[in-house]
Amino acid sequence: MADIIKVKATDGSEVQFINEVFSSGGMKDAYWCPGKKEVVLFFRDKVDARTKDRLNNIVGLYRDRIFNQPGGQYWSKLFCWPTKMVEWNGKTGIVVPAYDGTFFFADGNFKGKEKNGKWFASPKLRNKFLRPQDKGTWLNHFHMLIKIARAVKRLHAAGLAHSDLSYNNVLVDPPTGSACVIDCDGLVVPGKYPPDVVGTPDFIAPEVLSTRTLPVDDPNRKLPCRATDRHALAVMIYMYLLYRHPLRGSKVYDVNDEQRDEVLAMGEKALFIEHPTDRSNRVKPEQLSPAELPQGDPAKLPYTICGPYLKALFDRAFIEGLHDPDKRPSANEWEEALVKTTDLMQPCSNPNCREHWFVFDNTTKPRCPFCGTEYKGVLPVLNLYYSPSHGKFLSENYRLMVYDKQTLYMWHVNRFVVPNEKISDEDKKPVGDFHFHNGQWILINRRLPDMWDKTDNKQIPVGGYVPLTEGRKILLSAKDGGRLIVVQLVKN
Amino acid sequence: MRRLPVYILIDTSGSMKGEPIESVREGLEAMVSSLKQDPFALETAWISIITFDREVKCLLPLTALDSMQLPAITTPDSGPTHTGQALQMLCGQMDKEVQLSTPERKGDWMPLLFILTDGKPSDIQLYNKMCSEVRSRRFAGVIACAAGMKADTEPLKQLTDRVYKLDTLDSSTFRKFFTWVSNVVGEGNRSVGAADDLELPSPPSEVNVIV
Repeated sequence: MADIIKVKATDGSEVQFINEVFSSGGMKDAYWCPGKKEVVLFFRDKVDARTKDRLNNIVGLYRDRIFNQPGGQYWSKLFCWPTKMVEWNGKTGIVVPAYDGTFFFADGNFKGKEKNGKWFASPKLRNKFLRPQDKGTWLNHFHMLIKIARAVKRLHAAGLAHSDLSYNNVLVDPPTGSACVIDCDGLVVPGKYPPDVVGTPDFIAPEVLSTRTLPVDDPNRKLPCRATDRHALAVMIYMYLLYRHPLRGSKVYDVNDEQRDEVLAMGEKALFIEHPTDRSNRVKPEQLSPAELPQGDPAKLPYTICGPYLKALFDRAFIEGLHDPDKRPSANEWEEALVKTTDLMQPCSNPNCREHWFVFDNTTKPRCPFCGTEYKGVLPVLNLYYSPSHGKFLSENYRLMVYDKQTLYMWHVNRFVVPNEKISDEDKKPVGDFHFHNGQWILINRRLPDMWDKTDNKQIPVGGYVPLTEGRKILLSAKDGGRLIVVQLVKN
Repeated sequence: MRRLPVYILIDTSGSMKGEPIESVREGLEAMVSSLKQDPFALETAWISIITFDREVKCLLPLTALDSMQLPAITTPDSGPTHTGQALQMLCGQMDKEVQLSTPERKGDWMPLLFILTDGKPSDIQLYNKMCSEVRSRRFAGVIACAAGMKADTEPLKQLTDRVYKLDTLDSSTFRKFFTWVSNVVGEGNRSVGAADDLELPSPPSEVNVIV
């Protein structure tokens, strides 16, 4: 039995840990604290003064900025953030919370292994090795990505950059829609602490890769920063929704040297595999193994299946902004687009569908892109309008798809309510629900005091309902920011 | 998707008989089962095992990690160590198995080669010739390991600059060695340093680096 070591952390508190390495990473060795709620990670190599200063700020100032604010508790689930810094036997260490149990495989072939994101982003691993209960639904993936985008947004808002976002540093659990950013000790503070790493293959931004051989102090050398985090985030979102890499196509850049080919394909010459006009890096599906199909083939499952909001952002990330970092969408834009896209989702009626959910494709004959099942019957689409001034309503390019037992929330009702980490508990409660009842679609009002049927010009009281018929206009709230919905019916 | 071919050459000459070869087998088993839980390795790694004593055998042609079964490894009672012939077979297998890039299609990653031996080559002339052949080919890494106190590292230095020495031939040493091998196989997917070039993870403490 290894002995228990007691040391004093730099904040003066006592830290205990079991003197036995249970895991080793690239730069650090991990020791359990008694009770296994926390871990002490010691850097194997001597840590220089600048890194110590950075770590001190990460456990102090920056942690304060994020966690010790109103609503700060929300972030403790999204980050595995170092809490203390310790020194022991000339080594520098940090105390971090242990990962939540949900981020380890509970049973099956990979029992006890961390849920590295790679498992969920590769068609071969999904099709051959993961069990359905490990994979979750497509909607779960959206929920997971909303958390990731939100976490990156929070870091950036605090003036930080992660610098090494990758499958390895974001643990995920699709079935519960959870994600957690780990390895926060490498954080970059632009202008103050330069990065230790350039990133992880697949996620390194093109400009970083193509200038990697320049000396670190060369003015043309590009190092990880917020703009490169944005690239990594876009790649991650594409991969967790489409299960392939946006830049890994068939184009060969160097026949003789596959390392150089790789650096060109991900760096200087990087080209989106679904670029609308330059088709030279298209995937050749006959070169893929059967286990990589159908997800590996963009012709079968193009990125447009992610809906209009995400398509626009993917275009900015991988077409306009691929080699122009300022044009890349921010984490906040990704979060909003992901949230809005979940309002366009429909459950697939095929119980054996691989993904169970799909984004409404804006056609009169909606069908699931994953299994091809067509939607049969009447499908209500609600177009949301807001009122910039009294009596006038403008379209917001925002739609809500209706399905049986779907709920209506305050963020649909009022444009000033945003479904993010700042939302109040009161606004998280459902305010109405949709049903297919006695052969017609209805909306039941549960909590909205002034819901008004504009078409029939009558109040819909709490507990009452309104049928969703073609063209019907319903005012959800008379308050400032309150929305009007116009019903559109798709019949198939 | 590019494959990462991994060639493992194992000395099965008489001196490896008994505990040493059993320990190697145990180490290999541990390596395969840990690789089979590594998503990066499962996606890309293909493994081949070649053994050499007086006879050289390709026990496992290049096989996808997820469908491979570890073959039985046998050792004769005594006899020469045909390391040169093993390298010859390796080159032949590579010519057949490793897919090169063409203008239309991306080929495999350059292979990793691990060679583990406890003695010196008996077919020294062929060995010398094959060393220069191996050196002229492109590998992602050639790692030679001299196992045991008596193992001679000099001939291995001809093959590669990366020669390591294992002092003991017990199962825990081999297990650590093969854990390191599996880390090397997964290395391409780790964070890349800002200052330096792609580097192998540092070997376990039981492995002595021969400079």
